[in-house]
Amino acid sequence: MVFNNWRIRRVGQAVFTVWAVLTLSFALVRLMPGNPMGAMLVQLEQSGMNPARARELVEARLSVRPDQPIPIAYMNYLTSTLQGDLGQSIASGEPVANEIAQALPWTLFVMSWSLCITFVLGVVIGALMAYWEGGRLDVGLTSWAILMGSIPFYVLAFLLLIFLSYRFGWFPTGGKYVAGTEPGFNLPFISGVMYHAILPVLSMLVASGVASLGMRGNSIRVLGSDYLRVARLRGLSDLTISSQYVARNAMLPMYTTLLINIGEMFGGSVVLEQVFQYKGLGYYLYRAVNIRDYPRMMGGFMVITIAVVIALFIADMTYSMIDPRAGGASNESY
Amino acid sequence: MTTTQPHRLQTHEPILELNDVSVTFSMDRGDSRVVDEVTLDIERNEVLGIVGESGSGKSMLASALLDAVVDPGTVSGEITFHPQDEPSVSVLELSKADRQRFRWEQIAMVFQGAMSSFNPVRTIRTHFVETLSAHDDDIETGMKRAAGILEDLYLDPDRVLDSYPHELSGGMKQRALIALSLVLEPEVLVMDEPTAALDLLMQRSIIGLLEEIKTQYDLTIVFITHDLPLVADIADRVAVLYAFEIAELGPTEEILSEPAHPYTRLLLKSTPNLQAPIESMQPVEGAAPDPVNVPEGCSFHPRCPLADETCQANDPDAATVSDRHTADCHHYEAAPGAIPLEPPEMDEIERTPRHHGSAGEPLLSLDGLEVHFETEQKGLGLFGEPETVSAVDGVSLDIYENDVVVLVGESGCGKTTLGKAAIGLQEPTGGTVRYRGQDIYGDDSDVDATDRFSADEIRRALQIVHQDPGSSLNPHHRIRSILEAPLKQWYDDLDGNDRQSRILGLLEHVGMTPADDYIDRYPHQLSGGEQQRVALIRAMLLNPELILADEPISALDVSLRVEMMDLLIQLQETFNTSYLFVSHDLSNARYIAEKTGGRIGVVYLGELVEIGPPEQIIHDPQHPYTRALRWATPQLTYRDDRAQTPPIRTIDIPDPTDPPSGCRYHTRCPEARKVCAQSAPATKSGSDAEGHEVACYRVQDDHDYWEDAPIDDADLD
Ligand code: SF4
Ligand code: SF4
Repeated sequence: MVFNNWRIRRVGQAVFTVWAVLTLSFALVRLMPGNPMGAMLVQLEQSGMNPARARELVEARLSVRPDQPIPIAYMNYLTSTLQGDLGQSIASGEPVANEIAQALPWTLFVMSWSLCITFVLGVVIGALMAYWEGGRLDVGLTSWAILMGSIPFYVLAFLLLIFLSYRFGWFPTGGKYVAGTEPGFNLPFISGVMYHAILPVLSMLVASGVASLGMRGNSIRVLGSDYLRVARLRGLSDLTISSQYVARNAMLPMYTTLLINIGEMFGGSVVLEQVFQYKGLGYYLYRAVNIRDYPRMMGGFMVITIAVVIALFIADMTYSMIDPRAGGASNESY
Repeated sequence: MTTTQPHRLQTHEPILELNDVSVTFSMDRGDSRVVDEVTLDIERNEVLGIVGESGSGKSMLASALLDAVVDPGTVSGEITFHPQDEPSVSVLELSKADRQRFRWEQIAMVFQGAMSSFNPVRTIRTHFVETLSAHDDDIETGMKRAAGILEDLYLDPDRVLDSYPHELSGGMKQRALIALSLVLEPEVLVMDEPTAALDLLMQRSIIGLLEEIKTQYDLTIVFITHDLPLVADIADRVAVLYAFEIAELGPTEEILSEPAHPYTRLLLKSTPNLQAPIESMQPVEGAAPDPVNVPEGCSFHPRCPLADETCQANDPDAATVSDRHTADCHHYEAAPGAIPLEPPEMDEIERTPRHHGSAGEPLLSLDGLEVHFETEQKGLGLFGEPETVSAVDGVSLDIYENDVVVLVGESGCGKTTLGKAAIGLQEPTGGTVRYRGQDIYGDDSDVDATDRFSADEIRRALQIVHQDPGSSLNPHHRIRSILEAPLKQWYDDLDGNDRQSRILGLLEHVGMTPADDYIDRYPHQLSGGEQQRVALIRAMLLNPELILADEPISALDVSLRVEMMDLLIQLQETFNTSYLFVSHDLSNARYIAEKTGGRIGVVYLGELVEIGPPEQIIHDPQHPYTRALRWATPQLTYRDDRAQTPPIRTIDIPDPTDPPSGCRYHTRCPEARKVCAQSAPATKSGSDAEGHEVACYRVQDDHDYWEDAPIDDADLD
């Protein structure tokens, strides 16, 4: 793989963003009036703890030592954060990093399913549109996308929960796996995990309903292109045309959109996991906000931001693999 | 005189017979018939040129041959295909499966947009393979055949097949597309403006290749174009389309030398070329009809100087002019007398030669101008240096008051960048541009403060008219406000009435009457030619001293080009402006330069290789590249050198990021000798003519070049 300046710049941008996030959260804790530190102190004191003890606890949990000069504190903070030390939860006293490590996989699990399904759906829709040359599918799809786009995903989540789980009892009303199954590679556990993830995944799909709308636009653009016309004249089969010509090209802009969606999905997961009592990162964050567990909140947000930065970075880096025209080693008119 | 079998041939063996073929689109405004009952025979192994302006229905006719008219258009009539040694087929009645096989196996088509005829995410090879397998052809022998065809088209099969479309230049893509159309060995090849987007040299080379390919693969070619001189070079017969019908059909030689239809005659007169005296070139008045609203009787009568009541009432049938030559006109016999192709006898028009050289201070003076761009396309390793493209490399040129310089060259040769750098729109990376002695990009301290020009003054003095007028006019503004804006900005002492009368006056001056009506229109309510005029007025309103006109007519239809050029020239005389034209077409360059007594400058890979008066550049070019351009320019006469091999070594332009050493043309120059690859020739006087300068060793009689050994192809690898 050929690296060039373009790639180096992207790496630089990603590193810069991560650094900015870290610094910002440092500044928030340390410098802002009404900052988490002060808030925590007040909170602890109000709950009857004596001020000196409260201060000690806050310093320990937030890894903040007020007597340190700012630059040294900043360096310490950066090194410990980079080593994975995000402080300790106020509520549990556990290291935040450990707690997040336990919650994150569940959220990622739901998200990757939603992403995969959106992607496959988008491609299939594009291909079908090519097959039927727009027309029939288009009307239905447009109305669907508009409908889905206008319902907030959490409303749908509630509707799904009320009808499918409470009314009909088809799906569990909460949880991540069937209680009593042994976590690990065994069928009951895995199928339970799938089963519990269905509704969250479904609701999250709505958040990306816009993506299929985008796919539709792309397909229409591809449908009008010269190479499609030539392909038809060359007698290529409808299957080849819809998969290799329409879907393949319509997919390109969608690919980046999807990865950008990851940010939205994280945001959505905070509410969704609450609705479905699905104990992932979103649930964890929501709880943290409720009980003002600052180390948890900051750790969670930091992880989400970094995840989004990484997703975008991956999108940038891999785009040239699916689109030969982007970056990479091109030899323009040899 | 009329026959009931128009455009039919008695003696020859047709491969395609068209009978009353029409293409109709239903639209809100009514049915629009974009091909109207065309009856035509296409002979086996001929090259039939179909010529028409845009909107004449020529592309639809082409698509109809394959029954490939796009929805919602419908084809009616009868098209019969007579394959060799097989029963005839009626094209419009084929089943879906048969039609799919018929296309590409019997008749293949090459579109204008080779750039977009390939799937951008798949390699060229894949396109060949999928075509072969879709037609159940053996892949291995098919690919061997493909490689052979690519080689015949001067392409390196391995490299081209493994490339993605975007990695090939336009000319390569177009040839790859031709190869793709031939891979199933069709009998007929329909080409719709196959060379329109390409440079002249590439066009002409491809035309030459088509000749060879045609014989080698035993083809019948239907060549559709708006460019009459271009088909003149390849076609055996030419059909001229006007308003969705065939106006005239005959052997190329007769169509060119003795056209019978008034439209053909006018079209020929309106086409700029290199031979005909420029006095004889005249625009065709009026505009082609709209398909929903074709005039009664002969559709050409509103524009025809011979039209009478018969013409308004009756649609003429095809009249036999000679054995194989028909014209759909009531008065074709009178046409040659009424519309002479030769110019009327007149006194030699006084051409005031411009003052080059020592006479007067130059208005604009370029000295060693360089513009280098950095690209990031091709890094080699993590810390690869960005590549530089030298778009302009060491150009020196003086432009005087009232002067006209036309820059010609292939696309990507840097002529537009050169023009932009000259008028202050593209910062050069080296050299200077001086406006009346003052450096417009930098340091002006050597000029006395009293006669120093402000940046604003310079900006106003140097204006540009873009290639695409549509995109340079704000679509949301009326003509009034588009034209008022510059006046407000530069002449704030004018009040509203003065501004208005000035704009109205100019609109009238360029023939946009009634001006009161035009002034309140939006750009999209104007034709391309009218938009171009508005853009021109906008530049002229500022009383500029120099206008850069970047391909100002290439977006216009052929019959409108002469008119536009005349207008440009007339405005130049009225306003005493100088022009710097940029053009890829030597005929247009000649027209302008000859009419204004200007100069033509030939640009190759960022260098000015020859400059001089049009007489020298056209009739006695000294630089081998100018000769190649001249060869590439289609001519309106039937010429004997049609199949002549091109006077260039390779068709493709070298990579501009890695220009050849020495004389940059040496990789393509048939005259190149060893010294040419080593050092670049200096610019020397090319002939006795004033201002004729050439950068080639061949104009230096006493140079070592003449003793040197010729370069052979092995040296170039
Ligand atoms: S038929 Fe009449 S109007 Fe038509 S081209 Fe001939 S002379 Fe002109
Ligand atoms: S200098 Fe040599 S290579 Fe260049 S144009 Fe002249 S003869 Fe050809």
